[in-house]
Amino acid sequence: MGLMRDIAGTASSIIKGHKVTIGNFFKKPITVRYPEERVDYPKGVRGIPSQKVNPETGDLNCTACGLCARACPVGIIEVKAMVGPDGKKKQYPEVYKLDYTRCLVCNLCVEACPFDALEMSDFTELSQYRSEDLVFNRDQLAEIWKRSNAVRIAGGEKI
Amino acid sequence: MVEGTAYSYSKEKEFTGGEDRRYIELNLGPQHPSTHGVYRGVVKLSGETIVDIDSVIGYLHRNHEKIYETMLYPQIVPMTDRFDYLSALTNEMLYVMTVEKALGIEVPERAEYLRVLFCEFQRIMSHEFYFGFFFNDIGALSPFFYVFKDRELSFDLMDRVSGARLFYNYFRIGGLRNDVPDGWLEDLKKFLDHLEGDSLPMFEELMLGNAIFHARTKGVGVLPPDVAIAYGVSGPVLRASGVKWDVRKSDPYSVYDKFDFDVPVGTTGDTYERCIMRFQEIKESIRICRQVMDRLPDGPVMGKVPKGIMKLPKGDYYQRIDSPRGEVGCYIVSDGAQNPYRFKWRSPAFVNLQVLPHLCKGAKLADLIAILASLDPVFGEVDK
Repeated sequence: MGLMRDIAGTASSIIKGHKVTIGNFFKKPITVRYPEERVDYPKGVRGIPSQKVNPETGDLNCTACGLCARACPVGIIEVKAMVGPDGKKKQYPEVYKLDYTRCLVCNLCVEACPFDALEMSDFTELSQYRSEDLVFNRDQLAEIWKRSNAVRIAGGEKI
Repeated sequence: MVEGTAYSYSKEKEFTGGEDRRYIELNLGPQHPSTHGVYRGVVKLSGETIVDIDSVIGYLHRNHEKIYETMLYPQIVPMTDRFDYLSALTNEMLYVMTVEKALGIEVPERAEYLRVLFCEFQRIMSHEFYFGFFFNDIGALSPFFYVFKDRELSFDLMDRVSGARLFYNYFRIGGLRNDVPDGWLEDLKKFLDHLEGDSLPMFEELMLGNAIFHARTKGVGVLPPDVAIAYGVSGPVLRASGVKWDVRKSDPYSVYDKFDFDVPVGTTGDTYERCIMRFQEIKESIRICRQVMDRLPDGPVMGKVPKGIMKLPKGDYYQRIDSPRGEVGCYIVSDGAQNPYRFKWRSPAFVNLQVLPHLCKGAKLADLIAILASLDPVFGEVDK
C-alpha cells in the first residue's frame, strides 16, 4: 500500500508540474532580446555620474570646490582647479577625473555638490577592452551627460 | 558500502593513507554550483555517510569592518549594502539606526513607516530568491525561473524608487534619500496582489506539495531547540526548531509594535520545516506591507541632522534587528573622532553556518546540499 501511495503521490506531482509548465508555455515572455530590444530606464536611474553642461554657454556648472571628492567613499574623484594667467585659481576645473572601475554608483557625490554640477546619467553600458578606458576625464563626463539628456536638451527644457 | 570490507579498504587507502584508513576526505567547493557562492567544505565520509565536515570560509573576504574605521559615518551607508546583498536595505536600516541612536536623531514618522515597508519588501524578495535556489539545489530547475520572474518585477519597483536594482543606498542617517514617486505605492499593491493571487498558490502547488521535495527534506538535518540556542542560531532556522524568537516581537524596534503580524514557529526543526517557515514569513511580510500602506502618514522623510562632519559621542553603541536570515547586530565603538574606532557586524548567516557539522553528522552526502541550502547562507555576510 505504501508503495502505491508513493507512486500516486509522485505521479500527481508530475502532472501538477506539467500543468504549470504548459500554462507558462502560452504566456508572453517578460524578457526582451537585449542588444536588439531595450527596456526604458525609469526616471532617476543611477548610471555613471556625469558633469552637467549649460546648454546655452556650453560651460560646466562645476567650480572645482572638491566637495564631491571628499564625499566619495572610495576616493576615486580627482579635481584640480584651473589656474589663470595671473597665477590665481579660477572657479573652473582643469582636471576632473573619475575612475569608474572602482565607482560604487552610490549617488553621494551628487548629493554633496552645492552647485548642482553633477547628475547621475543613464549610461550603463561600459564594457571596454582596457581598464584605463574607464577613467573618464572632464570632457568625456560632459559628453556622457549630453548623450543621456539629449531629449531634454532638444526639447528646450530648462535644466 | 560496509566498513572494513576488502573493497572499501583498498579504495580508501588510496585517498587518505596513514592511520585513518576508514574515511575518505572529499573537497566540496568553492567553485561548486550548489554551494551558494564560495562555500568550501572538506567532508569526511564513511562510504556515503558524512562523519564530519570542516567549513573553510573567507573566499569572499573584503575586510569591511577594518575599512570602515577609515571612513566617515555617512560614507559607510552604501558599503553596508554589500554584507547581505539579497536584502541590502535591512543592512542599511541597521547601520543608520545605530548611528541615529548614538546621536539621538529623531526620524520622521513617514520615514519610519517607509523603512518598515522596504525592510519587509526585502524580506519577500530574499525569501523568494531562497525558494528558487533551494529547489535548484535539490534538483528542480523550473521554480528558479518562476521565482526570477517575480524577482524581476520587484527589482523594477526598487529601481524606480532608489535608482538601483541591487545596491540601493536609499536610507540616510536621519531618514530616507527621497520620498516614493507618485503611483509607486499603487504598483506595489498590484505586485503584492499578483504575489498572493498567482505566485504563492503556484509555489505551494508546484513546490511545497511535491512528493520528491517531501522525500528529500522530511526528517533530514534535524536541529533540536537546545542545540540551536547553544549555537546562537537565529531567524527562520531557529524558529523552525520551535523557539519563538523574533527581534521584531521580542525587542520591537522602529514602528514594528504598531503592526499586527504573527511569527511562524515550527515543531520538528528539519529541512522541510525551515523551508515552510520562509514560505509563511512571505505571507506575514505581505500582511505588514499592506498595513503600512493603509496607515502611511504624510510628512517629510528626512529629519534634522547636525550640520558639518558627523562625529559620534564617545562610547559604545549596539543595535539589533531581524533580517531575513536572522538577528543581525551592529556594534560601533566611538572615541569621538569622525571615524568609528571599532566596527563589528554580527552576521546571522555566519552564526547559522556553524551548526552545519551538527546537522550533517550521519546524513548522506546528497543531503548535505539540501541542508546547506536550508540554512540560506549569503557569503557576502559570512565572509564580510
